[in-house]
Amino acid sequence: MDTPAKRPSSELGAPPARKGWRRFSSRARSSLGLYGGTSLVVGYLSIIVLIPIAAVAAHGFSFSIHTQGWGAAFWRWHLSTGFATFWNDITQPAAISAIRLSLWLSLSVAAINAVMGVAIAWVLVRDKFPGKWFLEAFIDLPFALPTIVVGVVLLFLYGTASPLKIDLFETWMGLMLALLFVTLPFSVRAVQPVLESLDGESEAAAKSLGAGGIRTFVWVVLPSLWPAVLGGFGLAFARAIGEFGSISLIAGGLGRTTTASNYIYNLTQGFLWTNAAAVSTALLVLSLLILIATNVFARRIQRRLA
Amino acid sequence: MSISLSHLTKRYGADTVVDDVTVEIPESSLTAVLGPSGSGKSTLLKLIAGLESPDEGRVVIEGDDVTDVDPRYRDIGFCFQHYAPFRHMNVARNIGFGLRVRKQPKDVIDAKVAELIELVRLDGKAKSYPAQLSGGERQRMALARALAIEPRVLLLDEPFGALDALVRTELRQWVKELHRQIKVTTILVTHDQDEAMEVADQLLIMHEGRIEQAGEPTELYERPATDFVHGFLGPTTMFKGVSVRPHDLELVPASEGAIEGTVQSIMELGFEVQVTVALSDGTAPWVQMSRNEFRNLHVEIGSLVSIRERD
Amino acid sequence: MRLVVVLYLGLLVGLPVGYLFIKAFSHGFHAFWVEVTKPDAIAALKLSAEVALIAVPVNTVVGIGAALMLARRKFFGSRALTLAFDIPVAVSPIIIGVALVLAYSRIGWFGSWLASHGIQILFSPIGIVMATMAVSLPYVLRSVLPVLIEVGKDQEDAARTLGAGAFRTFWQVTLPAIRWGVLYGVTLTIARTLGEFGAVLVVSGNITGKTQTLPIYIFDAWDQNFDTIGSFAGALVLASISIVALIILSTLRARERKLHVDLA
Repeated sequence: MDTPAKRPSSELGAPPARKGWRRFSSRARSSLGLYGGTSLVVGYLSIIVLIPIAAVAAHGFSFSIHTQGWGAAFWRWHLSTGFATFWNDITQPAAISAIRLSLWLSLSVAAINAVMGVAIAWVLVRDKFPGKWFLEAFIDLPFALPTIVVGVVLLFLYGTASPLKIDLFETWMGLMLALLFVTLPFSVRAVQPVLESLDGESEAAAKSLGAGGIRTFVWVVLPSLWPAVLGGFGLAFARAIGEFGSISLIAGGLGRTTTASNYIYNLTQGFLWTNAAAVSTALLVLSLLILIATNVFARRIQRRLA
Repeated sequence: MSISLSHLTKRYGADTVVDDVTVEIPESSLTAVLGPSGSGKSTLLKLIAGLESPDEGRVVIEGDDVTDVDPRYRDIGFCFQHYAPFRHMNVARNIGFGLRVRKQPKDVIDAKVAELIELVRLDGKAKSYPAQLSGGERQRMALARALAIEPRVLLLDEPFGALDALVRTELRQWVKELHRQIKVTTILVTHDQDEAMEVADQLLIMHEGRIEQAGEPTELYERPATDFVHGFLGPTTMFKGVSVRPHDLELVPASEGAIEGTVQSIMELGFEVQVTVALSDGTAPWVQMSRNEFRNLHVEIGSLVSIRERD
Repeated sequence: MRLVVVLYLGLLVGLPVGYLFIKAFSHGFHAFWVEVTKPDAIAALKLSAEVALIAVPVNTVVGIGAALMLARRKFFGSRALTLAFDIPVAVSPIIIGVALVLAYSRIGWFGSWLASHGIQILFSPIGIVMATMAVSLPYVLRSVLPVLIEVGKDQEDAARTLGAGAFRTFWQVTLPAIRWGVLYGVTLTIARTLGEFGAVLVVSGNITGKTQTLPIYIFDAWDQNFDTIGSFAGALVLASISIVALIILSTLRARERKLHVDLA
């Protein structure tokens, strides 16, 4: 460029014209956009998720529209009868047995996969061998497969007509295998990135100070993995306790192998909606408590690490 | 006056990041806004650009009050510290972006882009993607992109902060040369005082959201208005109870006005030598001198010397 | 340890998957094909596809919109919003089905109001769509949000200073920058949408040929008719779609790792 380009009042330089609604200040317009967007998203969320969940909680206490008035009588009725119905529903022996089964199954499965998850993640991150990529894809398979597919396959593979000469139909073992299958990815994927980010320096330091393999693992690696392991535990637990499709088939009709989800489903088939709502609410509250506990634990450990 | 800021204030919660800033920026100047991290200089730039909205005050660009105007309509060019390239577009499309927004015909855009690519010396890289360019090249592309729309103000937010020292010095000179050619009002934000001193026509020193001093670089260096400016723009040391520049002191044989002391340490840093002298009153000022000067003195650690101010 | 891991994975995961393929073709390809092309099966596939065609775009738009809001602005209740999005993942699909019934069917809160406007939720495709939207809600948001945060505001700010408005900035700058995150989330959503079972089972009433999605059809084939081949055939079709999705996801993840290397 030879001539110094003094800014022309240019054909080129004119910025986009400020027509119509663009005259309004940018701050006002972006706030409007934000409010509009938020309302749409919140509206959608409410219709699809929030209102239905509220409906479950309410119906558990018999808050259906088909009751008298809105006055004091309304509240008195619900507080007494509603709560009584709720309590009755969840203390049915069948209900208690179903919830208890779901709880201990989910906790054990989450625990087993927490351990195996670390082992698998370790092999994936630290080990090198041909075909490792195949293993990686395998991890995600249970997550991608629809639950009913898993249910059907496991029924035939481990059930009465099993080619493996075993019969896990209507057994806890069968349920466990199904749950281990579907929760595996959560445990592994929760731990894997943390393992990847460990650069091996602390371990090298421990080794140079004389620590053996296992001791290094327990004292150096594991502490930094704890929050992730707990996170994976929480996710696996949440998935297991709500699981339906993959275990409903192999569970059969036996009361002993009826999980909470299955029990609720059976109630809906009998059109016992209030009952179903009550048990659902109980299950929700229980899982929420356990999740919060896991979360608090994980955060406390994280704080000690940081 | 090209840019006029009056009582500009910006708060984030309880922090006042830009505190009642009032300043005039002359047309066609290259103004550097210098200050430590957290002094509010980047925020000030973003207020001028419109990427942030002030809580109080007005921004006037060439007579237009743009305080409530969207950055789209302010006719400014902005360069970011990390270049903000459009990663999925090649160099040519990056540079031409603003022109396409203004719905310029294709041949006009192509011509302008080619012109700019030559100007910023990215010849042959028109079809390259930002990921294939070096840091310096990316910043040059960013500059070309900003200049393509022929803005009335060019704002550079720590443009060389992410580059190696060598590239930084190179680009620094190049921007100064570019400004000489294109003469667009430019504001450069930096925390590097060498950069500011070297490049700017006018210097603004910011500290904790306020402007400590504004003026020509040499003026600020020689006649700093506050202790902060004095300390920030160059090295200082205490002599006779006053803060002075180490290169304004010299070591001499005992004479009037000179104070005796013992050489405590000697640091040879390439072209300059720093000699620290311990005085009887407990202070230990250091003197900055050239290598030749040092060699002619024939002193070593423990030698008895005298310090005084140069004439 | 490698051996233990491989054994565990092989037995737990590999065995069932392999068995699926074997069993589906155990009576030959012809029998498989007959099952897959039965009218009821086709109807189920069609319904699943239609449901996906509605649920996936809606959840994608909502997911991207919410991600933009959460990443670019700090507003009161953003934490609550993120939590709300995670609800469907933490809650059993059966409970979600029950929830929708209790809110919108004739016996629920809005049932009578909806019925008077001719809208039926229970035992109808609308209910299935709602259930599917609910369970596949968070996937797009979860994969787009971290990408959006990482890409940062600078590119969008640059576009603004160059004169671009909100739409242009979104289409030409933001969206291309997050496209892999979007693709990942959409793939997950599609897989989830096609495979949803529990919630749809509760809501749909399982009327053959009318309100059966593919997963329901698979269940029904065994549960009602003890039709092993039919059930497995359907399962294989569904599984294949999921495996394709899985391959896409793995490729995207590998690509994302590579992308990290040449980020400025």
